[in-house]
Amino acid sequence: MTPAISVTGLTRRYRGQLTLDQVSVDIEAGATTGLLGRNGAGKTTLMRIIAGQEFASAGSVRVFGASPAENDRVLRRMVFVREDQVYPEFRVGDALRAASLFYPDWSGEFADSLMADFALPRNRAVKKLSRGMRSALGIVIGLAARAQVTMLDEPYAGLDAVARHVFYDRLLADYAEHPRTVLLSTHLVDEAAGLLERVVMMDRGRIVLDAAADDLRGAATRVSGPVLAVQEFTARHEVWDRRRMGSQESAVIVSPLGEADRAPARTGRLTLEPVSLQELVRYAACLAPDTQGSATA
Amino acid sequence: MNTWIKIARYHLLKRFTYLALPWAWTAFGFAVDLVIFALIPVSHGHHRVMTAHGLVQVQNAPAGRDAAGLAGIVIVYFVLGVVGIAQQMPFALALGVSRRSYYAGTALLGVALATVNGLAITALQAIERATGGWGEAVHIFQVPYILDGPWYLTWLTASVALAVLFGWGMWFGIVYRRWNLPGTLAFIAAQVTVLLFAALGLTWSHAWAGASRFFTALSAAGLTGLLAALAAALLAGGYATIRRATI
Repeated sequence: MTPAISVTGLTRRYRGQLTLDQVSVDIEAGATTGLLGRNGAGKTTLMRIIAGQEFASAGSVRVFGASPAENDRVLRRMVFVREDQVYPEFRVGDALRAASLFYPDWSGEFADSLMADFALPRNRAVKKLSRGMRSALGIVIGLAARAQVTMLDEPYAGLDAVARHVFYDRLLADYAEHPRTVLLSTHLVDEAAGLLERVVMMDRGRIVLDAAADDLRGAATRVSGPVLAVQEFTARHEVWDRRRMGSQESAVIVSPLGEADRAPARTGRLTLEPVSLQELVRYAACLAPDTQGSATA
Repeated sequence: MNTWIKIARYHLLKRFTYLALPWAWTAFGFAVDLVIFALIPVSHGHHRVMTAHGLVQVQNAPAGRDAAGLAGIVIVYFVLGVVGIAQQMPFALALGVSRRSYYAGTALLGVALATVNGLAITALQAIERATGGWGEAVHIFQVPYILDGPWYLTWLTASVALAVLFGWGMWFGIVYRRWNLPGTLAFIAAQVTVLLFAALGLTWSHAWAGASRFFTALSAAGLTGLLAALAAALLAGGYATIRRATI
């Protein structure tokens, strides 16, 4: 793996509060990485520092081997439209023209087709756009820029389900033709799961999970059935969560299942179902150690 | 350099704001001044009149009655400097521009526009002289002591003065962007404090007489040099501040 972005020991303090706490992570070049985590986990701060918009209290960021801070050669290969992006008093069309000035690979054609997909009015003032439309504008700029490092911060905040799927489909299609490094932060893990090749999970300013998305799919299983059967089954496995309702129990196990494990399920006594990426991420956050390190799968 | 020009073009996407607004405002001030002075008979007295632009001194007419219409463009330049940073910077940084390039490009645009508009002021001053003060003995584009020399000095002084206002505005814009209203108020307080200490310094060293002699003796060219030094200081201060600005 060649990292496009390499973060080492990155710390950011705001008035004594740690927003980023010794974050170290590599973002693979030419892959789509999901940056997941709850509100206030530090996702946007991490992306702002990578984009040179914010400064670190300690630690370092390297993008293509060089520090991005005030480095035009690195910065011009990146785009980062924030969820709360402040725009000048522009119309939508002006914002696109502005972006086209700075990106040599900007595709006006692609921008036009995305505008049509999202039904964005070119002549409307940006500040008059609804939340979803502002998000859509950020997506149009982020994708049509075809920057080598494309960072999208909560790209679908306020977008309806149809528009979200437009985003997934268009990103996948364009990414296939013009590979680039994509880093996107989101809460909607399962919906974006099909896009993501890697998942980096943050919680309270730390990385708590950094894994290939494929490794995570099927990494955890929910076992449900009669209490005794479940307990007998889970004795051989690492259990993350256990819930009992009367005579029934449901447990989440993380070790891989063998053929022998599946036999009880076939007899109908136990139900085995894969735990979704979204739930997995939730468990990772709950189980994250308070004081140290990261879980790597 | 290429990025600087792109930044200038980025600003000029708002053509009306940068190109038309200063002159729309000046045209308005010009019209107001002309109407007011048309109402006042040309006298030989020495008195002051309140206009839309504040106190206007009417002195020794018909040699010329000084109006303050040009103040409009000066104020607009300050505002353009503020807006050029406070409103326009975050999106440019989202598009992969460094603060350094952004600042240099914005300053370049400010200086270029100041030069062009300084030339326009010079041309209007020539017309004003040729028409005997727009037929009403009004001095709008001739400002006593500051803008009343030869055309090239008018051009230079007007351009430098506009650049000073733009640079000052930019600095305010950076402070506001980064530290919001409390920071802006602290910034104003700091500037007042600097002036206060300068005044105290002059008083304690009994240098007021020397200072007033210096300014009285200062030629228009000397004043322009002083303004240019001020512009350079403001640009340097803004540059040092923007390097710490986060968005």
